[in-house]
Amino acid sequence: MADEKNNQIDEQLKKVVIANLQGLSPDLRMHIGSMGEFSREELIDNVEKETEVGTKIIEIQLNFLRSLKDGIFYGQNLANNET
Amino acid sequence: MDKTLLTTRPKHDSTVHYLFYWSKEVIKLAEEKGIKVWNLEGERANRKEVESILKKRKPSLVFLNGHGNDGVVAGHNNEVLIEAGENEDVLDSKIVYALSCKSGKKLGPESIKKGATVYMGYDDDFIFIADPNKISDPLSDKIAGLFLEASNQIIISLIKGHSAKDCHERSKRIFARNAAKVATGGSKEYLLASYLLWNAQHQVCLGNQNATL
Repeated sequence: MADEKNNQIDEQLKKVVIANLQGLSPDLRMHIGSMGEFSREELIDNVEKETEVGTKIIEIQLNFLRSLKDGIFYGQNLANNET
Repeated sequence: MDKTLLTTRPKHDSTVHYLFYWSKEVIKLAEEKGIKVWNLEGERANRKEVESILKKRKPSLVFLNGHGNDGVVAGHNNEVLIEAGENEDVLDSKIVYALSCKSGKKLGPESIKKGATVYMGYDDDFIFIADPNKISDPLSDKIAGLFLEASNQIIISLIKGHSAKDCHERSKRIFARNAAKVATGGSKEYLLASYLLWNAQHQVCLGNQNATL
């Protein structure tokens, strides 16, 4: 049951990440170091398939959501990651 | 000791194409400040030339642009230029900024152990977003500029005489400022903030924090 719950959370997280990606302009390209250059649609596809690139995008989005929860844009020292 | 700068600027794919153009302003500033620049661009960003200049000319500042991983910084056609466990000693006594993915994780610390004064870089992927319609004039790409302007601040501040720690903080502040600008300014590209923040959080400054050029 714990695995089922984790899978639901993972699927929900993917949906949030994909919804966020859909806000990106289709004209832009993301350059992820040595992984290459990706369009919005390619990023979404990678997230859905949980590839190395997709997993990286999920990690970055999760990091951002945690930072938002910690109030990173509200009087915090963003550059030093202090809260 | 005269101040000199070695920079590697490959141009073989679209990612390093952007780095190639955005590093031009660094070279211009260095030359204006009377700093001798060893500019290894395109095919000249190869291991043989890099090692030769590092050993014979002993530049005080090194700016590496290119792909990489934990233990490597690469050049033209992804040829390995500097690799942990192989030749990181060529960075002895140098202040280094590597705009290269992940090299801050292993190559950076190993370089410090082998005598590099400072190693600044990233301990994870460096990410930027660009407008492919601007590929023929990357310096006009304001989206990419949010990322690369912040990155350039490190080397610009070093050239202006600031300490390594100060350069690192200045760069992170610009990443942060740009992240806040896109996240809270009503821009539809608010998502860019997550990648700007990522770069800021994964930028590292190893070695002598008080070192200056």
